[in-house]
Amino acid sequence: MHIPDGLMEPLVLACGWIIALIVVGLSFKILNKRMEDKQIPLMAVLAAGIFVAQMINFPIGGGTSGHLVGAALAAILLGPFAGLVVITTILVIQCLIFGDGGITALGLNTLNMGIIGCFVGWWVFKIFPEKYGNIGTFLGSWAAVFIGSFACAVQLSLSYSLSGGTYGIPFEIAVPMMLGYHVIIGIGEGFITTGIISYLTRTSPEILKMPKITFRSPKEVMVK
Amino acid sequence: MILDKKYIIAILGIIAAFAIGLVFFFMFAEPYGDGLEKTMENADYEEEEQSYSAPLDYGDNYFAALIMGIVGFVIVLLCVLLYARFMRKKDETRDN
Repeated sequence: MHIPDGLMEPLVLACGWIIALIVVGLSFKILNKRMEDKQIPLMAVLAAGIFVAQMINFPIGGGTSGHLVGAALAAILLGPFAGLVVITTILVIQCLIFGDGGITALGLNTLNMGIIGCFVGWWVFKIFPEKYGNIGTFLGSWAAVFIGSFACAVQLSLSYSLSGGTYGIPFEIAVPMMLGYHVIIGIGEGFITTGIISYLTRTSPEILKMPKITFRSPKEVMVK
Repeated sequence: MILDKKYIIAILGIIAAFAIGLVFFFMFAEPYGDGLEKTMENADYEEEEQSYSAPLDYGDNYFAALIMGIVGFVIVLLCVLLYARFMRKKDETRDN
């Protein structure tokens, strides 16, 4: 789901950059304040692991493939703010060093895969009580991909409308196709993420018990 | 030592899983575009030349992709570790 250069209308690209810079900037600020030493190796190994996992596409039928995004996985293990920093780091390296995703579209890619992926994944995961953790993980990962792809489809349609057809893809093609493909890719994401979390629950439960960099409750904010 | 034994084992496990996963990728998924690429293809959208030319790519055969994956793995790992270390050092200096 890496958007290349030249696909989106410049105004849509600019909006993506503005949203990404604000949310990622805030996430870095929160991470810098609340990061603990024991979280650093997990963040680094998880980021590197998601990078290589994104290189392995799986077939979904009809001559189409998908790959793990990993945003929900990062958010569930580290919290959404640290998760977003991890995904942003991966996207920047993919773009600048490997040419995966356009440099002008980095803001939108960060918005669709990083911001939406991490926060939607985290919120859906948190809806479910601990004993239904696997269901929460699966649905959180699926929703992260599905909602991210919907955002991408809306951006494609907006680009098409704003530019009079020079950029983007018409709504009637972009939305059904993007959602149709990603409803299945999201299932792959859900199985992989749930598999990894279940494996870690059995082999390294301490990783799942690590503090998460997430929203503070109003009570915590008042104590501070 | 920044990474203890547990994480070194995890790194070796991830690289091994990547090496195996790549075999399946080249066997079953390599020629196929992802959801966005297929949407662009179905809308007859021709991808323009990219405005930035990156120094590396993912490679078009198993061994090139394996090496590029490991290179990327190391770059991402070091970036996060160095950033986190830098931020912790800054915190310590400020606390002193």
